[in-house]
Amino acid sequence: MNAVLRLAIFGLFAVPGSAHHEFQVFVQAHSGRPVNCALCHTSADGPEGSGPGQIGSLDEAERERLNRARAAFDPSPVVDSPILNEFGNSIVARLGKRRILELRSKPEALAAELGDASDLDSDGIPDSREYLEGTHPLMRHHGDPWSLFTHELRANAFHVVMLGLATIVTLYGLISILRGFALRLRARADATEN
Amino acid sequence: MSTILEPRSRRLARFVRERFPLENLDPKHMIEKKEVPRHRMSWAYYMGGLALFFLLVQIVTGLLLLFYYQPTVSDAHASVETISEYVSGGAWIRNLHAWSSSAMIATVIVHLFTTFAMKAFAAPRELTWVSGVSLALIVFGFGFTGYLLPWNQIAVNATKVGLQSVEAVGQYLPGEMAHWPTFVRETIQGEPSVGQATLSRFFAIHVIVLPLLTIAALGVHLMQVQLHGMSRGVDALKVKTEKFFPFFVIKDLSVWGVAFFVVAVVAMCLPFDSFLPFPLLEPYNPLGSTPDGIKPEWYFFFVYYPLELLPYWAVIAASTLVLGALFLAPWIFARTTRRTLSALAIAAALYFVVMTVFGHAIYDALKGGPP
Repeated sequence: MNAVLRLAIFGLFAVPGSAHHEFQVFVQAHSGRPVNCALCHTSADGPEGSGPGQIGSLDEAERERLNRARAAFDPSPVVDSPILNEFGNSIVARLGKRRILELRSKPEALAAELGDASDLDSDGIPDSREYLEGTHPLMRHHGDPWSLFTHELRANAFHVVMLGLATIVTLYGLISILRGFALRLRARADATEN
Repeated sequence: MSTILEPRSRRLARFVRERFPLENLDPKHMIEKKEVPRHRMSWAYYMGGLALFFLLVQIVTGLLLLFYYQPTVSDAHASVETISEYVSGGAWIRNLHAWSSSAMIATVIVHLFTTFAMKAFAAPRELTWVSGVSLALIVFGFGFTGYLLPWNQIAVNATKVGLQSVEAVGQYLPGEMAHWPTFVRETIQGEPSVGQATLSRFFAIHVIVLPLLTIAALGVHLMQVQLHGMSRGVDALKVKTEKFFPFFVIKDLSVWGVAFFVVAVVAMCLPFDSFLPFPLLEPYNPLGSTPDGIKPEWYFFFVYYPLELLPYWAVIAASTLVLGALFLAPWIFARTTRRTLSALAIAAALYFVVMTVFGHAIYDALKGGPP
């Protein structure tokens, strides 16, 4: 019975198995940045196909995980779809499949639904903001440059201070050596003149 | 009159003797007696040293990157990711390499404009100028070849466009010369499409050929600077000076220190990749279509946007003329006043800044969409 149910769920939701392009179209229009399916999916070309991270390449165990994720209509802490990346899975886990399908008609509301709490790449910019700005929520080196700079400056304050001190001390040492050389040269020149 | 009657061989010998006054190659002349003019343009004397400093940063960080970078199409992108994500201090070193390369090119451009405005190419400093222009071209070559090495979408697609542009020059050349650009493109590319051979060749050019050319050109450049000293730079007959050693050297060193601190902090806190759209940072997919947003590095915008807006032949003709004029500046502008040269340099700098900062907006305004 369980197997029949799983098969029914797979049959019901595997077709169509395409990504929700509404979100991609919205992000591109809103941010002005080109984005692709890799924003939420494992493959940059979306879930359909037989490439790595696409439905056609999944083995038995991965299909099982995919079906469980597809059955997650309500928010569920355990979503691990092999065709979604960490960000995609986190969206399904937080909102549930039903809410995501509803949001297809108003993709701009997804950011508000996700809230500011999650920052999967720990770059200081919430995932919801990265979604709106068209930057990758899983790339630590990718985001609004000014936000990244201020976040990293705060995080590396100690290193910055130490770097400043090291630079000043090194400069002081080198300049002292140069002054010493200059004095020696002058002394030698004076001695030659005398 | 006497110059006209002088035999050619003698004139050549005099030219060489005047450009290479080897009697000046002693510590007394190069250190103790050397003076640096002081005037409103004195800040420009630090630009050459600053460019040299950024080159040194490039060499050190580049050597460190070589320990991990794999120049193969299968591993290049992954090795760059490994450097950024897993190697201790790797992200900082890679960012330092990327930021200091941009800083070096910016400094070289400012150095070029200011020395032109100050007429620093006037006799007997022609070779300083010619070797300097050669160095500027080499620096752009470093930028072009280094761009491909991470082997991501933007790198490969932008390189393809660049190589196609080289080949397209052939259609405007007469006779047998029409095949030369194709030969150059094939030689650099190494195979019918941009692939492993291209990556290997770009890598070899980036880490072997260009560094060797840099050593040669920089050797001539620095030797000329030592032999002839700093140019006066202004029209005033009486110019205050300061001792090169230790006063100017100490100031120069302080500028290096500030530059190091600034570029090191920027490299620590601001990933260079953050300015690129994220799909372009993915590994190159040979079966995929060319993604949106493909552009060269910012320092090529001054030629990239005109290429997008104007007929190809017009941009190539203008570029050839400007490049020729740059190399021959000591002879073309031998009698031009510093005031005129300053005006030309300001106009060129304005053009460069406008194209770099507003090129995209200008394109949008004229063509109604991104390039």
